[in-house]
Amino acid sequence: MPVGADHQGDIIMPNMKMESIELSAWFGTKQALKDINISVKTNAVTAIIGPSGCGKSTFLRTLNRMHELVPGAKTTGQVLLDGKNIYAPEVDPVMVRRRVGMVFQKPNPFPTMSIYDNVAAGLKLTGARKGQDLDEIVRKSLQQATLWDEVKDDLKKPGTSISGGQQQRLCIARAIALQPEVILMDEPCSALDPIATSKIEELIVSLKSDYTVVIVTHNMQQAARVSDLTAFMYLGQLVEFGETTSVFENPKSELTEKYITGQFG
Amino acid sequence: MHRLLDVGLEQLTVMVYRMGEVAEKVIDVSIRGYMNGEDATAVVHELSDILATMTVEIENKAFELIVKYQPVASDLRIINSYMKIAYDFERYGRYAWDISFTHKKLAGLDKCAGSSDLMQKLAGRVLEMVSKSVDALKQNDGEIARSLAGVEKEADELYFAYLDELAEATVQNKCAMCNLLVSRFLERIADHTTYVGESIVYIVSGEKLSLR
Repeated sequence: MPVGADHQGDIIMPNMKMESIELSAWFGTKQALKDINISVKTNAVTAIIGPSGCGKSTFLRTLNRMHELVPGAKTTGQVLLDGKNIYAPEVDPVMVRRRVGMVFQKPNPFPTMSIYDNVAAGLKLTGARKGQDLDEIVRKSLQQATLWDEVKDDLKKPGTSISGGQQQRLCIARAIALQPEVILMDEPCSALDPIATSKIEELIVSLKSDYTVVIVTHNMQQAARVSDLTAFMYLGQLVEFGETTSVFENPKSELTEKYITGQFG
Repeated sequence: MHRLLDVGLEQLTVMVYRMGEVAEKVIDVSIRGYMNGEDATAVVHELSDILATMTVEIENKAFELIVKYQPVASDLRIINSYMKIAYDFERYGRYAWDISFTHKKLAGLDKCAGSSDLMQKLAGRVLEMVSKSVDALKQNDGEIARSLAGVEKEADELYFAYLDELAEATVQNKCAMCNLLVSRFLERIADHTTYVGESIVYIVSGEKLSLR
């Protein structure tokens, strides 16, 4: 029996934005994910926790088909976005990535671009918006990322001229500008100080009113603070998935208990 | 794997166990004083004060662990429950004092319990419940904790039966007044033993239940 298999599928949610079904992933011959079944609730924050190498970042990257960009990588099973399999042959992965945006561990603004151009870059590349409309989207995106007030007078300055925390919010604004439906965040605060982390956490919570958020984090207190649902993964398998308060107060699996109380990891 | 939190949890556990021993003793001294017609006020007062101090110490330790380690899961359940149990033990001390004080003030240390079979039984049940609550804590035993529910029901029945007996009595005296108040204090102690039991069940299983 898979690790903690008896705790999978505990949650039945009618308002699911995404769902992985029997999802497995490989790097060459090495299997990184084994039959993962997770439902991602609409307008909620879902946290994925687990020790290093458990497959949480790989899982995140299967949700917008970034995993397949790695040479030799393979995926089986399904990932449903609004009920449709994003791995179906007719689906364009670029469109998937537009609907399911990604924010990475380290802030990675385009170094040669201004703050404004960083936010507008995705839109320009896709030819989606021009002129006044673009200004409006940049402003709204920066406002939603709670960065507008701090940079509104410096939009022409390089994106790398602001602090690390501001750069990460700039990256979130860049993701928002494309108006995705889901935002994936891969340890978005791991390179930030506590104040910058706090701002990103506040932002994550505010974003869920407009987006569905999935966050991978090593920081369990962060998962407890920002998420509505928490999944614990171990050795490529889903051990436990449930309401965050329940997982952190009274986990069903002994393995989860041991991990979140710091008895291994 | 030994964690920094484990050292603090062990200290907290020792503190709560010690408090349980003092709580059991104060109830024993108080109830036996009442049943035997002895003045227990001095000892009960001292022990009750010790319990009040211990409650503060346990709260401080619990807060220290929360602030330092942000505990979750069973660690959090233990710390939260120990704080509640410490409060319940403090209440044991307070009611023990109320019994001894009332017995001395209203009944002049007469053997009032001897005048009522129901009061003797009620006092006996409460002694049993207090002892069980401390055993359940020390053994971390949810089954002992759950068994408090049945005894609490008996204690409630004895309390109400005594009130009926008192209501029907044609002559009231100082022992009746004393027993009336003492029966109420005993009933409240019985309630607090079930709160302790509920906390222990929560520690062991995470289940939130009512034993009353």
